[in-house]
Amino acid sequence: MRRLIRQALVLLLIAVLPAIGAGFFHPKRPSWTSDEVQLATAQEWGDKVLWIDARSALEYDTQHIPGALHLSEEAWDDGLGPVLDQWEPGKIVVVYCSTLSCETSHEVAKRLREEVQLKEVWVLQGGWEVWRRAHP
Amino acid sequence: MKTIGSRILAVIIGGLFIYAGGLKALDPARFATDIFHYRLLPWSVSALVALYLPWLEMIAGVALMTRRASLGALGILSALMLVFVFATLSAKFRGIDIACGCFGSLDKSTDLGPILLRDAAILAGLGWLFRVQRIQ
Repeated sequence: MRRLIRQALVLLLIAVLPAIGAGFFHPKRPSWTSDEVQLATAQEWGDKVLWIDARSALEYDTQHIPGALHLSEEAWDDGLGPVLDQWEPGKIVVVYCSTLSCETSHEVAKRLREEVQLKEVWVLQGGWEVWRRAHP
Repeated sequence: MKTIGSRILAVIIGGLFIYAGGLKALDPARFATDIFHYRLLPWSVSALVALYLPWLEMIAGVALMTRRASLGALGILSALMLVFVFATLSAKFRGIDIACGCFGSLDKSTDLGPILLRDAAILAGLGWLFRVQRIQ
């Protein structure tokens, strides 16, 4: 048992070194604050929110959050113009995709921050599924 | 025969953890989001775990394969597997429908059965290796 604990401690310590390196230098290291927002919080922001639907065009056309604009990675160039037309200082962008597991909202939010230099960009936690559940 | 079998098993399980850890280490930001979606840890802790855990998996996997500190590696990998099973079950019981995230971006499955079956098989393999180590 002692041997197990001693060996495990050594391995646990060895793993700290590359983890620290990744924390400082990894190009895809996580930020220290989450970019996700709960629906209740986003709704408290009221008219300040500019909703962005990052799902497919078909899903968007079928149903979307009222006032939401469509901007997905596939249709980035077509979708970005209307988003920039609607955006104004003080607006808070909230991007959503289908479910908790989908990643497209994070990708779109990241591009809006990095390529368009928008500051207030959030991802709706749970996405469209959470909205639909709250607004049956 | 038992020794050859256990050596092969150690290489397979060690390799599996190196592969899984490697995939997650490639994109720790995404892995942090996956961990956060389990709603067991706050974001900052999820980010730390996402930076550390993939390296621990890989280092323990290498230790198991190369028979260096393999008892400690077995302890760590078994503990990790138990944590993964607990997290998966807890998410399902709370109605959180998320991808496992066990193999980084390649893992999109939200089906509980195959995930638990895979985890049970790995745990059984680790148990077997523990037994062989004790006999030796």
